[in-house]
Amino acid sequence: MELFTAIFTGTIVAATPLIFAALGELVVEKSGVLNLGIEGMMLMGAALAFWAVTAGYSMPVAILAGALAGAAASLLFGVLALTFLTNQYAAGLALAIFGSGVSAFIGRGFGSDPIEALHGVNIAILSGLPVLGPLLFRFDPLVYLALAMFVAISWFLYRTKAGLILRTVGESPQTSHAIGYPVIRIRYMAVLFGGLMAGLAGAYLSVAYTPLWVENMTAGKGWIALALVVFATWRPLRVLLGAWLFGGMTILQLQGQALGLQVPSELLSALPYLATIVVLVLISRNRQMLALHFPASLAKPFRPAG
Amino acid sequence: MNELTRRGFLKYSGALGAALATGGLSTIARADDVLKIGVVYVSPIAEIGWTKQHSLGVEAIKSEFGDKAKLTVIDNIFMPQDAERVFRELASAGNQLIFGTSFSHGTPMQKVAPRFPKIAFEHCSGIVHLANLGTFEAKYYEGTFVAGAAGGYMSKSGKIGFIGGFPIPDIVGPANALLLGAQSVNPNATCNAIFLNSWFDPGKEKEAAKTLLSQGCDVICSMTDTATGVQVAGEGGAWSIGYASDMSKFSSGKQLTSFVLDWTSDYVGAAKAVAAGTWKPEVRWDGLAAGVVKMAPYNDGIPADVKAKLKQLEADIGSGKVHPYAGELKDQDGNVKVAAGSVLSDDGIRGMNWFVKGMIGKLS
Repeated sequence: MELFTAIFTGTIVAATPLIFAALGELVVEKSGVLNLGIEGMMLMGAALAFWAVTAGYSMPVAILAGALAGAAASLLFGVLALTFLTNQYAAGLALAIFGSGVSAFIGRGFGSDPIEALHGVNIAILSGLPVLGPLLFRFDPLVYLALAMFVAISWFLYRTKAGLILRTVGESPQTSHAIGYPVIRIRYMAVLFGGLMAGLAGAYLSVAYTPLWVENMTAGKGWIALALVVFATWRPLRVLLGAWLFGGMTILQLQGQALGLQVPSELLSALPYLATIVVLVLISRNRQMLALHFPASLAKPFRPAG
Repeated sequence: MNELTRRGFLKYSGALGAALATGGLSTIARADDVLKIGVVYVSPIAEIGWTKQHSLGVEAIKSEFGDKAKLTVIDNIFMPQDAERVFRELASAGNQLIFGTSFSHGTPMQKVAPRFPKIAFEHCSGIVHLANLGTFEAKYYEGTFVAGAAGGYMSKSGKIGFIGGFPIPDIVGPANALLLGAQSVNPNATCNAIFLNSWFDPGKEKEAAKTLLSQGCDVICSMTDTATGVQVAGEGGAWSIGYASDMSKFSSGKQLTSFVLDWTSDYVGAAKAVAAGTWKPEVRWDGLAAGVVKMAPYNDGIPADVKAKLKQLEADIGSGKVHPYAGELKDQDGNVKVAAGSVLSDDGIRGMNWFVKGMIGKLS
């Protein structure tokens, strides 16, 4: 049971930064914009949040600072890709590189003093429950926030008018423009939201998950989040499941190694990637479904005519 | 420390070209009595870790030589193709002694060194030697053996956890020595090993440490370049063993000890030899005796008599009385690899790609 609890909670926690970043990117891509710079925005968020904690600000302020840093970085992308209509692939890649460089520069002065990590919640009765307590009710608040964001984004995208408009902009910006929606402004908001979420993911890494600052501490998680969105065929629930699957396989392969499973560690290390790709490809075999959810104008620059 | 600029390179390489044309490199190199040294780090200098320990060696040269040495340091060079360019530039800029600090600097240095036969190249953790390329390396396994003994004394479960980057001899060997050290005081000790298959991934390292804790390990040794393993162990109430630097401040007071790398003698020694004109490419492979490997202060939670035993063990390894890989050594399947009364050969140590009995994990 203890082992199961360790695997289960480890999975949920490992998936949390991916959920934040991938859900943010999902909203961006649904608006027809491809921002490849998640890694850079996460690093900015991680650096700023860590700085805020060492500077003595409270945890909520630090996390907010991380989120805002991600949003600020995404604004840079927005100006390049939306206002100046540069190639979105190039602008996104530039942001990824820029973010890792700038965060490393900011982080030079941080030293590496340990910080107090974000604590798990302690809900009066629930956290004390015998089995369910340690399993479900002792995570840090951001884990629950990630799940709340999943619910909110699913609801927003598919149950609100604003969500419908956002998706319309991603399908056909010309049509949206023709019927009077401010395409560029909507895309800006989506990009900023994506930056906010990537910043949150970064903040989660540096103040909750591994409470320290090291250069490039995201170690590729931004790219995994990006891939998750594609493999999840732009659907929120699959993003969530994909993140859990990836996190779960990561934990399981480590458990397998430590248990002395008779499989080389190199192969076990590849398992999370293999499993996630295989499962998500299997559930996306239906081409029609794929076409239904793929934002038709993804990564195509839009210039309002006239 | 002066920054290299592109213009500076061009200037120096121009000067060098002219000098070569008029004959002899050593004449200009010695012209101004200031020793010019180039150092290439594999990562940025952090507060702790591999590159930090190298930067201490550089600092030692500075304090030893004062303004008699001019150091050019370039950090965060990992990829061999970048490294080759950097080494060539440093050589062209008239440095008389050039340090590479990572295994990945090996191939580039082997390419650049023959073109600059008058320049001394020193490669940390290198395996190839040339007429002007020497290597230096630490005997990590001496450190892990002592640390493992500390773990053996303090562990209640007899289960040690080890986290490494890749399953290569440089990591597998020390992991084996860690367990052998623990078994020297508790013959039933075992060691669960996890390889991240990445040199750097704090998130995965954290999960690995938690995994080891959940499987009952109560001493965690993480031979990676961050303090994450030590941190997670401390939070989980387990003992930890640091690597490269003293990581006690991350450990919630639970770091048993750390096997600290001190390259000072390698850096200062090479610089002095070059300055005196007596430098020769050497193969330096030192441990506790030479002080290249040092044990960080033992945790106050270790009883005084155990501390004394550990200090004695350090001395005995230093003097050669105790050898971490002394027979009889068996592999995981129980085959005798080193007979009783003999020790594993140096080549055997450098190429160790098998787990000793009691290691839990599978090497490909």
